[in-house]
Amino acid sequence: MLSITGLSVAYGGLHALERVSLEVRAGEFVTIVGPNGAGKTTLLKAISGAVPAAAGRIEYGGRDLGRLAAAARARLGIAHVPEGRKVFPSLTVLENLEMGSYRAEARRRRAEGLDMVYALFPPLRERRGELAGTLSGGQQQMLALGRGLMARPDLLLLDEPSQGLAPRLIEAIFEAIARIREARGLTILLVEQRVVEAVELCDRAYVLETGRIVLEGGRETLLADPRVQRAYLGA
Amino acid sequence: MGGIYAVMSIGLALIFGVMRVVNFAQGDFMMLGMYLTYYLAVAYRLDPLLGALVVVPPFFVLGVLVHRALLVRVTGGGDPQRQMDAQLILTLGLSLIITNATTMVLSPMPRQIRTGYATEAFGLGPLLVNQARAYAFVMAVLLAVVVFVFLTRTDLGKALRAAADEPEAAGYQGIDVRAMHGLAFGIGVALVAAAGGLLATYHPIEPTVGVNFIVLMFVAVVLGGLGSIPGAFVGGLVIGLVQAVTLLVLPLQLQNAGVFIAFLAVLYLRPQGLFGRRLRTV
Repeated sequence: MLSITGLSVAYGGLHALERVSLEVRAGEFVTIVGPNGAGKTTLLKAISGAVPAAAGRIEYGGRDLGRLAAAARARLGIAHVPEGRKVFPSLTVLENLEMGSYRAEARRRRAEGLDMVYALFPPLRERRGELAGTLSGGQQQMLALGRGLMARPDLLLLDEPSQGLAPRLIEAIFEAIARIREARGLTILLVEQRVVEAVELCDRAYVLETGRIVLEGGRETLLADPRVQRAYLGA
Repeated sequence: MGGIYAVMSIGLALIFGVMRVVNFAQGDFMMLGMYLTYYLAVAYRLDPLLGALVVVPPFFVLGVLVHRALLVRVTGGGDPQRQMDAQLILTLGLSLIITNATTMVLSPMPRQIRTGYATEAFGLGPLLVNQARAYAFVMAVLLAVVVFVFLTRTDLGKALRAAADEPEAAGYQGIDVRAMHGLAFGIGVALVAAAGGLLATYHPIEPTVGVNFIVLMFVAVVLGGLGSIPGAFVGGLVIGLVQAVTLLVLPLQLQNAGVFIAFLAVLYLRPQGLFGRRLRTV
């Protein structure tokens, strides 16, 4: 479904990503782990079109995304739940969700989407009339996830959904992600610093360090890898 | 007066809120709106109150074209400081060009639309309300309501606000942020032109009339809280009110002194403006 070959991204002469290649098949749950500043967020932004690629190719559903703008990529069914949530603070919770279903395919089935999101995150239903900027961090994360789901995406990009949340909330968010996946058979690409939880959830994972893929494999292989155990699992 | 200030200020606030561009040419678009209304009144005997509505579509198109031809070059991406410099120079330059071209083509001679109601007044108990101003006020409030409904009840309006809030995330929802900029600029220009048309029911029209009003628009927008639409509306009303009250105690030439004193007082007590958020999420 998503195939990246030799992708490089540069910020003002600095290489954020260098010749990254990866593959996400339809229905798969793929995780990218790695330390801060490894280029994980940049990778997701390059996929959704927020940063331009310096070199390489991103193919989605057999189609070269090339120079397509972010909005055009979203219309193709790529939903990006960004780092730091980035909800629309001066819009109400409901309006945020409505904007999630801005693309035509999703707009037609907006009511159905709202029911699904409210069932998944009941607090959003209670606070639907309030401004998103007044929500707590955990609720904003629910809203960002819900907004992404409202798009009825084929590919869901999740950037650090656990960031800045209390452990109990993190658990709830990861649980929700697992449920979303089961219910909708979504293809998910997750970027996380919390390696244990992220790798537990996924089918396959890549380890990204200083802009390069240094390791890849299925969940079991990766959890058993001595380098991963040493660097990320504290074993 | 307050209602018209409110409409012009909403136009400016919309452009700033969505694009983060301070449009110094806003007063000149207002002036052009006055002239178009004037010529419609002269050539077709069109009442300026209606003329103010007729100028909306052409000025919307003009705004979209100006955005597409000029402003896209200095917005969206790049070094923010340099972009801001470029935007200031662009809109100031645009303002100078429009003022001087209008002076050249239409002469600096002031013109006035004569309407039957400009010199009539309603009696409201002991008060006399000038009819032209009363009608213009009602029209202005109606325009503001239409804009408000558009922004809060339609998908396009909500997308406009979303693009103002978080442009990056708006893109992820499939909202074309550049198109939203064009839309905001078009609506902003159309609104200020309509406000000009309403103003033309009782205010003389000359090429430099915009300068007198752009300052008041800025005050209204900052008073209400930068980029806030309801804030700009209330800010405009407050300015009209303060002007009127000042007129009771100070000579006509000093009516804006009252506005600036009120402005300083608000900034001192509530620096984020009446409707501003204390913190902006970055």
